[in-house]
Amino acid sequence: MKLSKSIIHTALTLSLITVPVISGCSNDAASSGEHKKASSSKKNELKSQVKEMQTSLHNLQDSLKDKNENQVKEYGKRLNKQWLSYENSIREKYPLLYTDTEKYLLPLYAEVTKDNYSSGKVQQLSVDLDRSLTNLEKAKETTQKTTEVLDTAVKKYKAYVDEQTEELVKSTAVFTDAVKANDTQKAKEAYAEARVYYERIEPIAESFGDLDPKIDARENDVEGEWTGFHRIEKALWKDGSIKNMKKYADQLDQDVAELQKKIQDVKLNPTQIVAGSMELLNEAAISKVTGEEERYSHIDLVDLASNVEGSQAVYHAVLPVLNEKNKDLAQDLDTEFNKITALLEEHKKSGAYLNYMKLTKPQVRELSQQLNTLSESMAQTAEIFQ
Amino acid sequence: MKKQEDQTVEEQEEPKHYSRRDMLKMSLLAGAGVAISASGIGAVTTMTNVFGETTKKSGSSAEKESVPFYGKHQAGIVTPQQTYAYLAAFDFTTNSKSDVIRLLKEWTVLSEYMSQGKAEQNFNNDWLPPKDTGEALDLPPSRLTMTFGFGPSFFSKKGIDRFGVKSKAPKHLRDIPAMPRDNLQEPFIGGDLCLQVCAEDQQVAFHAIRNFIKTAVGKAEVRWMQSGFISAKHGKTPRNLFGFKDGTANAGPKDTKAHNQTVWAGQGEPVWMHGGSYMAFRKIKMFLEVWDRSSLKDQEDTFGRKKESGAPYGKINEHDKVNPMQMPPDAHTAIAKRSGQQMYRRAYSYTDGVDSKTGYVDAGLMFISYQKNPDEQFVPMLKMMSKADKLNEYTQHIGSALFAVPRGIKKGEYIGQPLFSSF
Repeated sequence: MKLSKSIIHTALTLSLITVPVISGCSNDAASSGEHKKASSSKKNELKSQVKEMQTSLHNLQDSLKDKNENQVKEYGKRLNKQWLSYENSIREKYPLLYTDTEKYLLPLYAEVTKDNYSSGKVQQLSVDLDRSLTNLEKAKETTQKTTEVLDTAVKKYKAYVDEQTEELVKSTAVFTDAVKANDTQKAKEAYAEARVYYERIEPIAESFGDLDPKIDARENDVEGEWTGFHRIEKALWKDGSIKNMKKYADQLDQDVAELQKKIQDVKLNPTQIVAGSMELLNEAAISKVTGEEERYSHIDLVDLASNVEGSQAVYHAVLPVLNEKNKDLAQDLDTEFNKITALLEEHKKSGAYLNYMKLTKPQVRELSQQLNTLSESMAQTAEIFQ
Repeated sequence: MKKQEDQTVEEQEEPKHYSRRDMLKMSLLAGAGVAISASGIGAVTTMTNVFGETTKKSGSSAEKESVPFYGKHQAGIVTPQQTYAYLAAFDFTTNSKSDVIRLLKEWTVLSEYMSQGKAEQNFNNDWLPPKDTGEALDLPPSRLTMTFGFGPSFFSKKGIDRFGVKSKAPKHLRDIPAMPRDNLQEPFIGGDLCLQVCAEDQQVAFHAIRNFIKTAVGKAEVRWMQSGFISAKHGKTPRNLFGFKDGTANAGPKDTKAHNQTVWAGQGEPVWMHGGSYMAFRKIKMFLEVWDRSSLKDQEDTFGRKKESGAPYGKINEHDKVNPMQMPPDAHTAIAKRSGQQMYRRAYSYTDGVDSKTGYVDAGLMFISYQKNPDEQFVPMLKMMSKADKLNEYTQHIGSALFAVPRGIKKGEYIGQPLFSSF
C-alpha cells in the first residue's frame, strides 16, 4: 500500500537534474583512455575466468541430462563460488554484463540448492546464463557517456518492470483461478507466489493513483469497497471460507490487467527509479519488518524479500553510472545486498520463507538493522545525479 | 606535555557564536566547498559573518553560550550541569578497527560543529538526503556538550580483542558487580561505548544524539538510550523527583584541586586515561506513588536531611558538615558519609510514561557519577547502600553500566585517538 509521495511528482522535477547529469560526464573520455593499456592483461585474466565458469556450467548441463542430482548441485555451487571470486573486477569493468549474469546466476544457484529443484527451471536458466557468459567473454569495456548509461539504465529497469508485470498477471491468474474453484489450499500457495511480483514493482504500481488501493489496500485503508489481494487474504486465513470471493477474484484479474496496460505505456526516468528503490526499502522497513502488511497470512518475509529484490534491480540498472561516480558506494551496496539476502535465506525452510510469527524479537531486530544499513547506503545512490 | 594541553584549552576560550541559520546562509553563499567537508578533522574554518549581522539576541544567555568541545578534559563532566541530557550506549556491529576509527572521526567533526551550533550541509544535490536532520537549525548552541566513554566490552568481548585495544584497557574498567537488590532489565546493561549529550535545550540535545545515531548506521547500533532533565535556579543544588537536593557534596566547577582528587584519573592508568575519568551509570526506578504518601518525617529520615533546606540532620544549612551520628543509621546520607569516599554526581531525573503493569508513573533517577577509581569510590558505596540504604524501600536499580572516559580531545585529534595510536 502507498507509503509516501507519489512517483509522478518526482517525474515532474526531472528537468532540474538534466544539467548536472550532462556536466557530470565531461571527464569520461579522458579517463577511459588511460585505463586501456593497463587493462589488457586483466582482460585476458577475465577471459580465462569466464571460461572456467562456462566449463562448470556445461558440466552442470551434462549432469542435468544424466539426471545426476548431486553433481548438478555440486556444479551449481562451484559456479557460484567462482562468480563470487571474480565478480568484483567484472562489476567494475562491465557493469551491464555483470548485472545480466547475476540475473540468471542467482536464481539458478537458489534453485539447485533446493531439496527438490525443478530441472526445467535449471535448464532454462543455464541457457540464459550461458548466453550472458558468452557476452561477457567477448566484452569490450564501456565507453558510454553518463547520459547514455543512464538511458540504458532506465531501459534495462523498464524491461525488468515489464517482465515482473507479466509474471504478476500470470501468477495472479493462478491465484484467482484457485479462488474461483474454491480450492483453499491451492489459493494459499498461489497467493504467496503472486505477491512476489507485486511487491517487486510496487512504487511503479503506486504511481497510477487508484490502482494500488484497489489491488493492495488493507482493511480500513480505503473508504469505498475493500478489494484486492488482502481482501481475499482475510477470507483465506481468517474467515476460513472463500465461497464469496469470486467477485473479488474477477476484480483483481481486471485490475492487474489494467496495471499491465498502464505500465506498458509508462515512461520512466532515472530519478524516478532511484526514488522508487528507496520507497521499496522504506516500505520494507515500515510495514514488512513489523509484520503489518500480511496480517492474516503472515508471509511478510516474502514481501520483504521482494521489496529488497525490486530495489536491487534498480541498483543493478544504475550500477554503470554508480561505478563512475562512487565506486566505494557500489561496493558497499553489493556487500549490503549480499548481507540481507544471506540473512533472509536463514529464515527459509525447504525453499519457503517462514511465517513471520515464527521470528523471534532479536531476529526481527537483526533484519530491521540490516535493512537500515542497506537503506542508508542506497539513499546515497542519488549521487549519480550530481 | 601538560603545558601544551593547557594551551589548547586557552585557545578555545573565546568561541565564535554563529547560529545554525547563519552558517546555513554562509554556506549557501560560499558554495558547497567551504567548511562543509565531512571528511577532514578540524575542517571548520572560522568565518566572518558575511552579513555583518550580530547573533540574534534572543533566549537566555545560557542558551547562547557554547562549551568548547576540545580541551584537557572532556566537556560535560565538571561542566555546570545543563537542564537536559540524553545518555546512549552503542554496540559496535563491525569487527573492523578502521570502521571504528572512521566513525569516531565522523563523530568528532559532528561534535565540533554541533558544540558551536553549526550544521553540516550538502546543498549541491537535491536528490540526496540532507546531511543534518535540521531540527536545530534556528537554535543557538545551548551549552551543548558531548562526552564519550568506552565500556569493558570495547576492550574485550567474550575474550576477543576485536579492535586491538585490549592491552590498553584501563585499570578499573569492569562491569559493576551484581548487587543484592538489583533488578537489572535488558537492554539497560553495559554497552561498547557511551555518549552523554547535555544541553540547555532539549531539542538541541536530541538533535545531537539523533545525528550521532544516524552517522553510526552500519557500524554501531544503539543498545539503550535514556533521556533526562534536572532544573534548579542558578547556584542552587537541583532536586530529584523525591524533592530532595541531589549532588550537594559536589565540588564547584572551578575547584580544580577537588576534581583532581575525585574525578580525574592518572597514576597507574594508561596515558589516554590521564585526565580522563570513569562514568558509572545506574538507572534507578523511583516509586513516586509510594513515596508521595510517606510522611515528611519518613522522607527526611530516609535521606538524613531536611527536605526544604537540604541541611543534614542536626545542622542548619545545606552545606554544613554531615554528622552520621545525628541521623538514622540507615539514612542515605549517613551511609554515603560512612563510606568515606567522594564521587562527582551528575544525575538526571527521567520519566518514561506509565508502567503498563502497575499503572504507576514510570519515573526515576538516571544516576551518573564520575570518579577516578570506581573500585574505591563507587562500588563499595553501592554495596553498602544496596544492603542498608533506607531509600531502597522506594527505589529499584534497573540499569547499570561503567565506562572509561578518555582525557579531553585535542584539536586535530579524533575521539579516542590515543587508544589507537601506536605508543
